[in-house]
Amino acid sequence: MNRFFTFLLTFVSIFIVSCQKSDYDYDDTPQGNLDALWTLIDQRYCFLTYKEEQLGFKWTDIHAKYSAKLGGEMSRVQLFEVLSQMLSELKDGHVNISTSLDLGRNWSWKEDFPENLNTELRQSYLGSDYHIGSSLRYTILPDNIAFVVCESFSSAIGDGNLSDMLTYLRLCDGMIIDIRGNGGGELTNAEKLSRRFTNEKRLVGYTLHKTGTAHDDFSEPRAEYIEPSDGVRWQKPVVVLTNRSCYSAANIFVRNMREMPLVTIMGDRTGGGSGMPFTSELPIGWSVRFSAVLSLDARGGQTEFGIEPDVSSALDDALAAQGTDSMIEQARAYLKSQR
Amino acid sequence: MKQTCFLFLSVLLAFFPKVASAEDIELQPVDGRSPTERAFMLGIGSTNQLDTYLSPMSYKGTQLSFLARSERMTHLASRHVSFQNTFHATFTSADNPAGTASCLGGRLAYDAGWHYHFSPLPHFDLKGGALVGADLGFLYNDHGGNNPAQGHFSIDLSLSAGAAYSFRLRKLPLRVGYQADMPMVGMMFSPEFGESYYEISQRGVGHNLLCAHPGNALCFRQTLMLDFHLKRITLRVGYLCDIRQSNAHSLKYRDASHSFMFGIARHFQLMKRVKNEK
Repeated sequence: MNRFFTFLLTFVSIFIVSCQKSDYDYDDTPQGNLDALWTLIDQRYCFLTYKEEQLGFKWTDIHAKYSAKLGGEMSRVQLFEVLSQMLSELKDGHVNISTSLDLGRNWSWKEDFPENLNTELRQSYLGSDYHIGSSLRYTILPDNIAFVVCESFSSAIGDGNLSDMLTYLRLCDGMIIDIRGNGGGELTNAEKLSRRFTNEKRLVGYTLHKTGTAHDDFSEPRAEYIEPSDGVRWQKPVVVLTNRSCYSAANIFVRNMREMPLVTIMGDRTGGGSGMPFTSELPIGWSVRFSAVLSLDARGGQTEFGIEPDVSSALDDALAAQGTDSMIEQARAYLKSQR
Repeated sequence: MKQTCFLFLSVLLAFFPKVASAEDIELQPVDGRSPTERAFMLGIGSTNQLDTYLSPMSYKGTQLSFLARSERMTHLASRHVSFQNTFHATFTSADNPAGTASCLGGRLAYDAGWHYHFSPLPHFDLKGGALVGADLGFLYNDHGGNNPAQGHFSIDLSLSAGAAYSFRLRKLPLRVGYQADMPMVGMMFSPEFGESYYEISQRGVGHNLLCAHPGNALCFRQTLMLDFHLKRITLRVGYLCDIRQSNAHSLKYRDASHSFMFGIARHFQLMKRVKNEK
């Protein structure tokens, strides 16, 4: 009897003593929030080693640099500014602090470069009698070139949308897919569109994720393939028009399309953003977004800072003032030369 | 219409003549089957959740739960062994410390097993045994992103021990019972540290299944219940402490809840129809 109670008490005691505690000991103070943010990036951000090499900073130095900017009595606005500045060191559009005050961001990947896009001018090429299939708008230009505008991958693109679009455009001599200004969205939509431009399974890249808290704790690279669609597939030359605003899923789309036959990437370098973002939070309750899963291209190279086009082109402002989009015209000329 | 009903009843009586003559049938307990005790309880309590895949912060909130437990003595070991099964469902809503985000969760757990009973003192029953169980749950955090939710799954073999004491307070018969269950070995699902569910969907869950043991998944459930009879109904009130936790792939998970439970307990006897030989 006594033995039973001893066993029972031991059973319960061992459990109560060993109940798991969060090892998250950061207070909701300016220093506590900075420490929490710094640790989050230190342990979970997938590009830290790469960014340290490319941008020439040490993350350990960043902690000291921004801790020095903290004061005992700081307003929320002041704290937000310090933490946002700290994250800006990473130059990553997928890294943000989201608060009711503002969205902390670093959009230098597009804001520091020419936009190379005039949406009104682009709309004049579509005219008013264009087709809409989900987030795709398309028409046939007078020289029998298909012109497809994809401004976002956020909305689901249906297989029916794609088959109907390609059927409608099937007699065209070539296709321009204009993704300038496309800031990303769902990877699955980018993949779905890519599948229409290959007749065989193609290696397009690799993904890795963090497996532990150390900077270089990564999983083995997992090959990513694009399988040909069972629906209508495009068999003629394609130009993908890009600018610096092509980010995230749009960057992945360019990475995929680069591996497709008959596809030429034209325009400006893409904005990058090859990490898949996760979300976490700080003791103050602010959400933090950060890149957690890393994508490489088919040769194992980084595309976090963008992808160079096969053919460079830029928007000529003088021609734009006359109603001509020099980038679309260059793409048309290129496709005509491929006939 | 009357004709149709008459025809239908005639056919029914033709096929089941014995059912119609109820006086020939009497009910008797099935051989070797003891009465089954079934309890159905609802609970409300507090929860403390941590899932570092979603957030490093602990969330606190409310839990609603349903617990159904049945137990009956078997003919094993001279009727010293009981068979028990338990179904436990919970729904939780919790907030982060700053109150800027909330987390919804749900869990379904089922376990079944055997206890060996012995009575060292009159009206005092001790039991010890093992249970096999499965647990399926989710947590959804409304802060969005590509990691808004986390799934939990485990199967395990638990050790279980308990005690029960029957007594009277004035003229009211009471019974107090305690049971503690602790998984000792099993299997559980866990994503890798920074792995997205998008990747898991692409590559399968093979590498996400781990051996679970108290070293990486120390879990515990205890119930303390008081039964008292009011007329023909046995009311049951008590306390349920349910703690699930794991530490795998550098990710920590904890769902600790303490609930006040209330419900009814009934005793059922499996009967069979026996033809009355007169």
